[in-house]
Amino acid sequence: MSNPLSAFLRDYLTVGIFASLAFVLVGLLLFISWLVRPDRRQAQKYIAYESGVDPVGDMWSQSQVRYYIFALLFVMFDVEAVFIFPWATQLEVFGFFGLIEMTIFIVILLLGLVYAWRKGVLRWV
Amino acid sequence: MTEFLNDWGLILITFLPLVGALVMILVPKESEDTHKLLALVTALATAVVGVLLLLNFNYSSAGELQFLVDHQWIEVINSRFVMGLDGLSLPLLALTVGIMPLVFVYSWNHIPEPGNPKAFFILMLVLETGMIGSFVAQDLILFFVFFEVVLLPMYFMIGVWGGPERKYASIKFFLYTLFGSALMIVAFIGVSYLSKTQTFVIPELTAFGGAGITKATQVILFGGMFLGFGIKVPMFPFHTWLPDAHTQAPTQGSVILAAVLLKLGTYGFLRIAIPVLPLGARQWAPVIGVLAVIGIIYGALACLAQTDMKRLIAFSSVAHMGFTMLAISTLTDLGFNAAVFGMVAHGLITGMLFFLAGSIKERYHTLEIKRLGGLLVQAPKMGWILGLCTMASLGLPGLAGFWGEFPAILSAYAPAVGLSVPLFRTLMVVAALGTVLAAGYLLWLYQRTAFGTPTEEFASDPHIHDVETPEWIAWTPLLILIVVFGFVPGLIFNVTQPAVSLIAGAVGG
Amino acid sequence: MTGFVAVLAATEDIPTPDVDWSAIAPNLILMLGGILLLTVVSVVRGRLPGWFHAVWTISVATAAIVAVVPLWQRVQDSGPESVLAGALVLDGFSLVVTATICVSVILAALLLEAYLRRERLGGPEWYVLMLLSASGGVTMATANDLVVVFIGLEILSVAVYVLAAMHRRRVSSQEAGLKYFVLGAFSSAFLLYGIALTYGATGSTNLSRIQAFLADTVITQNALLLGGLAFMLVGFGFKVAVVPFHNWKPDVYQGSPTPVTAFMATAVTAAAFAALLRVYVTTFGPTYRTEWQPLVAALTVLTLVVGAFLAISQTNVKRMLAYSSINHAGFVLLGVLAASAAGDAATLFYLVAYTFMAAGSFAVVAVVGRRGDGHHDLSDYQGLSRSRPGLALVFTILLLSQAGVPLTAGFLAKFYVLAAAVESGYTWLAVLAMLTAVVSAFMYLRIVVTMYFAEPEGEPRRPRIPAAAGLAMGLCVVGVLVIGIVPGPLSDVANDAVSQLVAVGR
Repeated sequence: MSNPLSAFLRDYLTVGIFASLAFVLVGLLLFISWLVRPDRRQAQKYIAYESGVDPVGDMWSQSQVRYYIFALLFVMFDVEAVFIFPWATQLEVFGFFGLIEMTIFIVILLLGLVYAWRKGVLRWV
Repeated sequence: MTEFLNDWGLILITFLPLVGALVMILVPKESEDTHKLLALVTALATAVVGVLLLLNFNYSSAGELQFLVDHQWIEVINSRFVMGLDGLSLPLLALTVGIMPLVFVYSWNHIPEPGNPKAFFILMLVLETGMIGSFVAQDLILFFVFFEVVLLPMYFMIGVWGGPERKYASIKFFLYTLFGSALMIVAFIGVSYLSKTQTFVIPELTAFGGAGITKATQVILFGGMFLGFGIKVPMFPFHTWLPDAHTQAPTQGSVILAAVLLKLGTYGFLRIAIPVLPLGARQWAPVIGVLAVIGIIYGALACLAQTDMKRLIAFSSVAHMGFTMLAISTLTDLGFNAAVFGMVAHGLITGMLFFLAGSIKERYHTLEIKRLGGLLVQAPKMGWILGLCTMASLGLPGLAGFWGEFPAILSAYAPAVGLSVPLFRTLMVVAALGTVLAAGYLLWLYQRTAFGTPTEEFASDPHIHDVETPEWIAWTPLLILIVVFGFVPGLIFNVTQPAVSLIAGAVGG
Repeated sequence: MTGFVAVLAATEDIPTPDVDWSAIAPNLILMLGGILLLTVVSVVRGRLPGWFHAVWTISVATAAIVAVVPLWQRVQDSGPESVLAGALVLDGFSLVVTATICVSVILAALLLEAYLRRERLGGPEWYVLMLLSASGGVTMATANDLVVVFIGLEILSVAVYVLAAMHRRRVSSQEAGLKYFVLGAFSSAFLLYGIALTYGATGSTNLSRIQAFLADTVITQNALLLGGLAFMLVGFGFKVAVVPFHNWKPDVYQGSPTPVTAFMATAVTAAAFAALLRVYVTTFGPTYRTEWQPLVAALTVLTLVVGAFLAISQTNVKRMLAYSSINHAGFVLLGVLAASAAGDAATLFYLVAYTFMAAGSFAVVAVVGRRGDGHHDLSDYQGLSRSRPGLALVFTILLLSQAGVPLTAGFLAKFYVLAAAVESGYTWLAVLAMLTAVVSAFMYLRIVVTMYFAEPEGEPRRPRIPAAAGLAMGLCVVGVLVIGIVPGPLSDVANDAVSQLVAVGR
């Protein structure tokens, strides 16, 4: 604790410990499952998308356009979450001011949702 | 009365035509007679104000600005609403307000195709405001504004009421002039910026006389103004818009163009370019002189090659304005006097010639010289008037034209100190040759149109008649003035002398 | 674990700014007006009449202008101030640009109302997007921080990308939207890159701090900063369409619905130039003028010349006006280039004057375009003086103003920028600018000639002039003439509205 540099490095030590713990944990689990599971090899098991459709035909396939709107709505709330998480960790610091700011932010996004809803975007025709 | 004129005279005379035009906008298009009357009354009222100004003008101090108006205008750039009248502006102002009513009288039964006198007269009244304003404005920006205001009505007059090639002619006219004024405005800004007080007021700039501006800078700035004014004059080689504009313009447009509009250029040299930038003027003087003389000879030779009467008169304008510019380029008070006289004389004579051309065109439906002839037989009075005007135009002593040309040539004998005497004496000789050529083409024109017998196609045309009443009313004052100024040139010289001698003194002549 | 505690402790310092609500009132009004309109139309059952959206938009913009007035007084009395912890600045310059943007919203809304009815398009979205875009423009004009400039630019642009493509049935509208979007995104990247480099060189994105830093510090290795300046110039250059970054403009202006074009030509131009001026003249002007001026001078030359010369070969009036707006951008750039108080005032005067000229001109184009918004060829204007003399007269006045004829706003606008350029020693550029003005005058005259002198083939059509569009044109013509004849008030305002920066604490 004597000089700031070592304190700085000690913070990274924590990161390092966590990282190695993660590796160890994952490795351990894989190892255990390898020990426990039965092993019956078949040809089908080696193709991609074992459970889905065979990847044949043109790779430029069309998909339903409605997914696009859902994707947009998803991005909207995704971005909302991205902003809300860091804000939540510092809520006490920002205090009342922060609360108002976030309320405004969410309300504006909600208004967008209301608009989309009224436009019939949420209905699956 | 005097007090009222002192305070409001110039504002009144400048904006009266505009007020008339605004009133006319409210009158429906169909009542054509009301429009004719309104326009004429407005022009006459303006002329009356002009006469009052002439009467109240203090001729003993014609060198000073009188009836001075000075108001705050665009404060941030020091541009002020300054108007004033001195011996230099007075003859040109009188010319303008005098000619306009005559044009309206002439228009009484001469509305060019495609009709619509309302728009035509409104444009002419706006034009009048622009012209008067240019002659009385004493602030560069104010001058520029009026100078440009003139452009638009003329553009529309040529473009709408003009001849078959009107589109080309009107755009050419507009672009040439705009090109000149574009450089002129930059020069104005430059002059103002480099002056001590950063003012645009012309008398202040004149008093300041370019002090502190280096010779090289003055030459450049003068160049900008030279283009602006020179195109308007028009000087060789910027003259090519003039024949097109004149030929295509309706008669009224040609008359105004010749009588007043061209003078804006020469006036600009005398009022602004030379006194404000004396050093630049001295450097440019030989160039102007040489171009002026080229203009004289070129204009005369071009006249000899013309087959169209209106185009011939247009080229004769190039030659006559060449004399005026030669006189200006000598930078002497004799030259300046001759220039102002030349402007007025040219305005009266060439204006008259265009009136005649218009009337001939109306009767014969052509201006091709070789198809005309025998005017003295078919319309003797008109023939005699044409004779008088061609004589005046070629500079016959006893008529106004003489006093524009003779002193101009004379002044080149002794140019201002510092200018090359041999050069100007050569120019003098060449210019004198030009008068011979002028006599040649004008007599040739007169001989072919007025003498002889009428050509077959018009010999028994009942449509051809002699001078009508509106024409008499419009022409008589001009004819009288041409004669009067010819016999008593002092009427103008005495007014201009005090003003121009100040300018000549400032340039160091 | 003490490290975590230290980080937490440091966050105690995060400043929560005092929000001076009145200072950002115009922007708030625009933004809330847009959001509220969207909410109202989605909550109310059934469709609201088309005029309601227009009236709403106009009222919101008017309210924003009204909100500007007391702020103007405040700035005149107590000087400029910084708002929201130095993110925004409140000075005369930003307020005048704000008012200008609001005026262009009003004019565009007037046009839009009749346009939507004629084209059988509907929806409040047009108006909402316009209000939000205007709010972005105001943000740009008031920004005191490069990041805020960028945010404003994006709010402004994204809304306009959509607006450009809003005419669903016209393929050229879609094309315009896509083109504008792709090139706009591209230019945003340049701007952002420039901001990053500038931040690297000066240690701040706050304009006041950058200015102060540069005044105190001599940077020996300034390649980073110069790179930043160059990249930002490219970014702004795209937005205001200076040559060689102008290629999108003719296509986008031609393809976009005409009222949207009017909005782009006025509000977007004004906002982008305001930001450009504040960054280059006010922030970098005192210290780095000699570095950026040659660059901008070169761009000015290109913009003036290319805008004027390419315009004369066009036969589509909308495209002509697009090219002429490039030429106008060159003139505004001349005012920026002067980098002086006179230059600031001249730029502002030009932007205000151009708002009236451009909005009015595009109003005429919108009316003459007729249903389908496609009749923009020069031949569609033949005989207009006979079928619609009033419309022809209005267009003539506006075109002459654009050409810079005295007694119109255009003359004084050109005059002021020229005067500023001459004072700053750019006489040669002033001469060049006037020569290009003559060239573009030829183009304007071509339109006038077509309207007045050309013989129409067959009976000239009489385009219908809706009341709202007529009102917009009337306002523009009155504006152009009043500014042209009595320029005093506006030039006084412009002179009092010099762009300033306020020192901010950390």
